[in-house]
Amino acid sequence: MIRMPLASAGLLAIAISLAGCGEDKAPGSHAPAAVASTPVAAANHFDEVAAGAVVSHYADLALAVFSDAASTGKALQTAIDALLANPTDATLQAARDAWLAARVPYMQSEVFRFGNAVVDDWEGQLNAWPLDEGLIDYVAADYQSALGNPGATANIIANTQIQVGEDMLDVTTITPQLLASLNELGGSEANVATGYHAIEFMLWGQDLNGSNPGAGERPATDFVVGEGATGGSNERRRAFIKAASDLLVSDLDEMVEQWQAGVADNYRASLLAESAESGLRKMLFGMGSLSLGELAGERMKVALEANSTEDEQDCFSDNTHNSHFYDGKGIRNVYLGEYLKSDGTTLTGPSLSALVAKIDVQADSTLKADLATTEAKLQALVDSASNGQHFDQLIAADNTAGQQIVRDAIGTLVKQTASIEQVAGKLGLDDLNPDTADHSF
Amino acid sequence: MIRSPLTLALLSLALAACSPADPQQGVSSALANGVLLPAYGSWSEANSQLASSGRAFCADQQTLSEARQAFLTAQSAWASLQPLLIGPLAEGNRAWQVQFWPDKKNLVARQVEALLKNKPKLTPADLDKSSVVVQGLTAYEYLMYDSAIDLGNAEQKARYCPLLVAIGQHQQALAADVLDRWQAEDGMAAQLHGFPNERYAEPAEAVAELLRTQVNAIDGLKKKLGTPLGRQSKGQPQPYQAEAWRSKASLANLAAGLASAERIWRGAEQDGVQALLSADQSPLQQRIDAAYSDTRQRLAALQRPLGELLADPAGRSELNALYDSLNALHRLHETELAKALGIQMGFNSHDGD
Repeated sequence: MIRMPLASAGLLAIAISLAGCGEDKAPGSHAPAAVASTPVAAANHFDEVAAGAVVSHYADLALAVFSDAASTGKALQTAIDALLANPTDATLQAARDAWLAARVPYMQSEVFRFGNAVVDDWEGQLNAWPLDEGLIDYVAADYQSALGNPGATANIIANTQIQVGEDMLDVTTITPQLLASLNELGGSEANVATGYHAIEFMLWGQDLNGSNPGAGERPATDFVVGEGATGGSNERRRAFIKAASDLLVSDLDEMVEQWQAGVADNYRASLLAESAESGLRKMLFGMGSLSLGELAGERMKVALEANSTEDEQDCFSDNTHNSHFYDGKGIRNVYLGEYLKSDGTTLTGPSLSALVAKIDVQADSTLKADLATTEAKLQALVDSASNGQHFDQLIAADNTAGQQIVRDAIGTLVKQTASIEQVAGKLGLDDLNPDTADHSF
Repeated sequence: MIRSPLTLALLSLALAACSPADPQQGVSSALANGVLLPAYGSWSEANSQLASSGRAFCADQQTLSEARQAFLTAQSAWASLQPLLIGPLAEGNRAWQVQFWPDKKNLVARQVEALLKNKPKLTPADLDKSSVVVQGLTAYEYLMYDSAIDLGNAEQKARYCPLLVAIGQHQQALAADVLDRWQAEDGMAAQLHGFPNERYAEPAEAVAELLRTQVNAIDGLKKKLGTPLGRQSKGQPQPYQAEAWRSKASLANLAAGLASAERIWRGAEQDGVQALLSADQSPLQQRIDAAYSDTRQRLAALQRPLGELLADPAGRSELNALYDSLNALHRLHETELAKALGIQMGFNSHDGD
């Protein structure tokens, strides 16, 4: 098993019960691993009509979150246009602020990724990481890339033709289509020329501070043409950030369309045409996969154990604490059926929580408490950043106290995963994997 | 620790009540004795050998080829443990200290070089305080095999030997500690024998966790094969993203992991998980037997190292067929076997990659 220590949330079940040696149980009728002794039922335990309403509201939530991601994406595009019209420290800062604001709804959308193939297939172009930024622009001399990546130092901005392995590619005209075609160039997933992190690299530049304080420090003059220009190839750098932000906006709009109500052939229509059980499975799978494998594992545990700033989510901007916080928030949103929209209003409706509470009040309150605890532990990452210690400093090899903050957040995510499994068991969903023949999450 | 005599009396009553005929307890106990403990014992032994090999090599009393052999043995013993990663080694960051994979950005090279630059006279204590990336087999493999390092050169050997020796010592101590935790009076093995205990309320929980661990490991084998095959990256082979590419042991590791997974299924004496299926479930049992056999034979038939197979279409086609076979094996466990045994598989660390 890879990176095993996180693997089994079931390890958390350590309660002693002197009863229940399984006296009268025949083989094949035993409890799930995650929590003490809940027999797995063959049939669903939920009300079909109520469950249908929960899944329908889940689609409403997705629509609201993706709509906010699209509107904040457009605000980012506007801010980048303003930066290019007049590159100054102030317009660069405004563009950075717009990027940070755009991350808030986008990160809350990640819980929809796992379970819904339409989102998972789409997101690579928006949020792929970590990236080999030498593909895009100039980098420091000690830059390290993925082993065997033929495009790791191609530098699209400085070159109109790039050599990738045996192929020579013409990149004279930088368009959204060109950038999309360069993603995973040469088959390396570190080749990312699109999405939030490519734009982040444009706005901040490399973070050369390692585990010391400070983010990337790209000067606004990297976007100036003529006197005072820095960085080189500035016309092409301007074209790059423009194309990347245009592509981001059109991609986000495309996902909003998939969740609109009343469209006959979009994803929402097909999701709601499935059984309510299938919809609930997708919801729970999204919550559990993001909690354990992705957020606790890939995004926190790897960076923590390897003391690796390369494995940090928002590594150029030092915004990782917020990305983790809003990832966690998204999980909680789906369970509670709530979302605080960018306009300050809160969307509410039939929730998974209420559906579970009708079957088992205790299981519902346990998961709600776990989700609240996780939010508090992720808030501690945000607070630490506000006090000057960012995620890349917390994971330093000699920062015992900082590492503990990250470890605590991981611990609560693992615990909430076990509670998600328990809730799934109460609903009668023992097979949580929504993989299909043509999509593996 | 249980101190109250009354609790102890109740506990032993409870134990007596369910020990003789509970089939789940029989399987848990048999797997602990027949499969898990021997594997942990072999791993610990291989790490003792690794530590003494490192010292001997650095004292010029062993050849590089002998030292590499000791490494391969330790790496294989570790690969065998993947489907058995339950209990102490799965907790804290112990498994991370043994291996760091996937290493997408070649962190091992960067961190080894940075460590030796900062601490030219590295001590084992320095290593204990360093990143997991440099503490285990991944770094040892880098030292033994990377093309940028020539241990035949006396100067380089002097530079890298403190780390080689320290890793051997770290792994030996780690493995000995884990084995102690298995063998202790109220240790992991005991917790798979007598119920209830601090870890499991009843045998069914132990069996469920054994199965989940095994099934997750089979999923992990898929990832170890699928990543270099480029199944997540437009089909473009990624030879450097393979596990153990430097030592060309990727497929050997896969075989070792598969063999252990099969031992959980069969048991040392036909007393593994399969023993829990009833007579009317024998068609499922036969299909799982056949699936193991298919995967095992496809793997055994591969005559070249992974890196070579990835380089030509015929090789990739063989590897893709092996992947499909592993996938079929995994699905049989994850869905049908889990359902037949009434075990919820839950989430694992591969979801969402």
